[in-house]
Amino acid sequence: METFINPKSLFHLLLLPCLLLYSSIAYNSSPVEAAMHTNNWAVLVCTSRFWFNYRHMANTLSLYRTVKRLGIPDERIILMLADDMACNTRNKYPAQVFNNENHRLNLYGDNVEVDYRGYEVTVENFLRVLTGRHETAVPRSKRLLSDEGSHILLYMTGHGGDEFLKFQDSEELQSHDLADAVKQMKEKHRFKELLIMVDTCQAATLFNQLQSPGVLAIGSSMKGENSYSHHLDSDVGVSVVDRFTYYTLAFFERLNIYDNASLSSLFSSYNPSLLMSTTYYRKDLYKRRLEEVPVTNFFGSVMETIHTDAAYKALSRRNSGRFEDEMSLDQSVHHIKRRMLIKVNDGDEIHDINPELLQGEEGASKCPWSTFRNKFQKAENVDSLLNYGLVAMIPLLVISTWLVQ
Amino acid sequence: MVLLQRPHILLLLIDTHQFLQCWIAFGSANEEGQQQEEFSEELLVKPLPDHKLLAHFHFQSSAPPSTSNGCHHHLFPKAISQLVQKFRVKEMELSFTQGRWNYESWGGFDPISSSNAKPPGVELWAVFDVPQHHIDASWKNLTHTLSGLFCASINFLESTATYSTPEWSFPPASGNVRYGTFPCEAVCTENLTPWLRLLPCRDKAGIALLLDRPSLYRGFYHSQRLHLTSTESSSEGIDSGIILEQTLTVVLQPNSERAIEVHASEKHVQPSWSLSSIFGKQVSGRCVLAKSSSVYLLLDWGLVAELKFPNKENGKSAANGLTSENFWSNPSFELSVNPDRIFLEESSSHSKSLSILYMFQVEKYSESEPFDIGLMWKVPVAWLCQQTPLHASRFFMGSGNERGAIAISLKSTQFTEGFMSANSKDGSCELRVDVFQVVPWYVKVYFHSLRVFVDQQPRAVSDFIEKIHVSPSKDKMSPGVMEVVLKLPCRVNTAALTIEFDKGFLRIDEYPPDANQGFDIPSAIISFPNFHASMVFLEDDSLNRSPLLSKFQEKCPVMSYTEVLLVPLTTPDFSMPYNVSTIKCTVFALYFGSLLNVLQRRVAEEERFLKAKAAKKTGRLPLLLSKLSAKLRGSGINQD
Repeated sequence: METFINPKSLFHLLLLPCLLLYSSIAYNSSPVEAAMHTNNWAVLVCTSRFWFNYRHMANTLSLYRTVKRLGIPDERIILMLADDMACNTRNKYPAQVFNNENHRLNLYGDNVEVDYRGYEVTVENFLRVLTGRHETAVPRSKRLLSDEGSHILLYMTGHGGDEFLKFQDSEELQSHDLADAVKQMKEKHRFKELLIMVDTCQAATLFNQLQSPGVLAIGSSMKGENSYSHHLDSDVGVSVVDRFTYYTLAFFERLNIYDNASLSSLFSSYNPSLLMSTTYYRKDLYKRRLEEVPVTNFFGSVMETIHTDAAYKALSRRNSGRFEDEMSLDQSVHHIKRRMLIKVNDGDEIHDINPELLQGEEGASKCPWSTFRNKFQKAENVDSLLNYGLVAMIPLLVISTWLVQ
Repeated sequence: MVLLQRPHILLLLIDTHQFLQCWIAFGSANEEGQQQEEFSEELLVKPLPDHKLLAHFHFQSSAPPSTSNGCHHHLFPKAISQLVQKFRVKEMELSFTQGRWNYESWGGFDPISSSNAKPPGVELWAVFDVPQHHIDASWKNLTHTLSGLFCASINFLESTATYSTPEWSFPPASGNVRYGTFPCEAVCTENLTPWLRLLPCRDKAGIALLLDRPSLYRGFYHSQRLHLTSTESSSEGIDSGIILEQTLTVVLQPNSERAIEVHASEKHVQPSWSLSSIFGKQVSGRCVLAKSSSVYLLLDWGLVAELKFPNKENGKSAANGLTSENFWSNPSFELSVNPDRIFLEESSSHSKSLSILYMFQVEKYSESEPFDIGLMWKVPVAWLCQQTPLHASRFFMGSGNERGAIAISLKSTQFTEGFMSANSKDGSCELRVDVFQVVPWYVKVYFHSLRVFVDQQPRAVSDFIEKIHVSPSKDKMSPGVMEVVLKLPCRVNTAALTIEFDKGFLRIDEYPPDANQGFDIPSAIISFPNFHASMVFLEDDSLNRSPLLSKFQEKCPVMSYTEVLLVPLTTPDFSMPYNVSTIKCTVFALYFGSLLNVLQRRVAEEERFLKAKAAKKTGRLPLLLSKLSAKLRGSGINQD
């Protein structure tokens, strides 16, 4: 038995703090934190087959219509419908779907674009869409091509139970599967904020396993509660809409793309006595205050516009964006600072950016170690202090392992 | 080094090649300036014998073979040209159909029915211009692309178990053809909308304005078809010319309430209709991008024969009466709009009568004066459409969930005896029938059990089957394909083919969610290669400009599809795996758990361990110190 420390393991141990430091810097500058809101996506899923589940399709199509009305284009909506109700032979109104017995609004208008339908709506395909693991042949229109700045609305309706959602009456999506998929999405930088809205029985249980930050979830009913349909259309012959979705739509029908209604006003608009169930929303993973987040953050496509006076600014911004891709992670710290700078003095010229910073960037691109040195010299924020603390832990770790051997 | 340099050289070569080609193409385009992209829209309306109405929309776009504008197109849909270029599709046809074409009352011997009557669901076939070993990959990519383009689950056709390779019986048999159908696919608005997006005017102007979704899908039959042919590219790289033909065939029931009120006593009066009454919309002018935009009203020769005037016995003279100047005041019907042209069928093998085609040009109409033709019947008429030589139907035999037999029965329609005599050569008249049948692998067909019945008598297979090609199915790999050429005597009344099968088993996860509904067996294709459905209208220079009429003139073999069969397979108890695993787990937990516990437990050892633990209750720090001192003294060697 050797008492001396293997030189190789020593090397590893030395490498460890470096890695740790590097990773912490990388984490600080990870694009997730810095990404601006770039686009909005919606994944709308109806998981129920068979004619008597007409209302689930009507639910999904109502949401489809709403998000389209509020500005999300068709190419950024993934619509999954498990059965064909519009041209079903049982449908008295061919190519039309209604969510109200007054038949004032045909949800299945002329421009509906269904991406997954019929047998394609499976748990596998659903998870593939979320995680983006497709076969190469799958066309773009069937993919969720979101990025790290995307806000995604995930709406699901169907028959559910304690921690599961039934797909097509033959498979189940479990809360673990959903949480896992969301976690993968987070890891792959596929979203910035995600709102999961579920209209099933015991919908709240589906969110139990979620862990990823930036996820907001709302369900139509608590554990042990059922979600009920709203009313029956005697012409169509089945219930046409569920209560939760009905009141969601009632909320949205009053809005247009310019409204500033907040998510909390949506969440508080649900009346348990009308719903006959208690809505549940989980916001512990979501950082922003719901009072400040407009509903169009998820249900519409409202971008923050940055005003510039000259055309060249936009160009230079674009250039800097390209830089960002090319630069390594640690350099983008500077870049983000610069970006913040731009945001602060909005009206200022972009050429006003501290040339030293730019210089620093160039220098950094030559020698990554200089960034480390800079970091050590500055030690200005708590995070880096923390990092040094972690580095200081390393000798302790070395000694203790040596002792244990 | 050679390897490193090679891509550069290659790139350079490609660059110069392309440049040269562009240059050449540019020059040629300048020379022949008439080569332009063209689009035409046409609608053909035809009354059907069973009080229904056939509306056949025909849109044709063509892109000439040139690179004069690179990948840019003026009218031609870019998505299609990219698809053709990427997958090197020589010819392709995709159809979405709901409902079944009623061959008995809507006819089967005219160009519309033989090329636009399609099996329910999706049918796709494609011919590729790629090496043999790349075809399957191209097919797979094509199905995915089309599924994205048309919002359909065509991508289910990618698996080898769903498509087949017809050898020779399928009409466009030219080698690299792949054929697949998906009978249970739903067809609805979302498939029509992308199809309409391929038109330069979409559904915003022109004839496509009529396509009101609810009235279309209320019909008895609708089939939306997309056929594209790319002309042979002379050399690689040069854009090939593409002809895209989009047709939509609908059979609708005109709103006949008014007619019933008026002629309550006479049940046989055809319902009067107008475009606005059947579609709820009118045509307000043409699509300005279209080269030609016209509406036709076709009166079948059977109908024309019925409409003959009392004093004239000859069908020809009846036709003359209908085409004469005062056609609108003829005693049988009344047209609301005067036709711009009247075409008479030039000649046909049947001598009884000739079809008449009224042509209306949409150009003359505008927003203020929309185009809306109507037809008002005055007297009851009854006629029959011309049918296929043999009427084909297919059904199951046998009972139980284990085995059965498929029977394809052919019945003489007694309608085409004239042709038969015309076709007979020195008395030995023979009728050739091609049968193409694809069977999914889980219906295990025994090809040796093929039997032929002619006039209800079992006959030797070799007497009537001239040629047969079978490719047996492989489990989960490929479907069974049977191609048969039958030679039947002309005077045959009935003929039947039967073939036995065993029902296979699927794995529990291979069943669709609605497994109890049953599984579809795709339609068989029955074609009559000796008969050609074509309608030649009197030669006129304007005829050459109408793609629809020139399509009618083409000789396409008469084809009909049989019904889709629904075979119930034995379905397992889908909850069984859960039951099994639940009980298994219970048994494990109760029995093995306790048994292991009993076997593994060593009571004496446990007691000793507890005692030792109690004794060793010293602090952590002294332990650490002692360890440290031991290390420093170098006595840590004896650790184990």
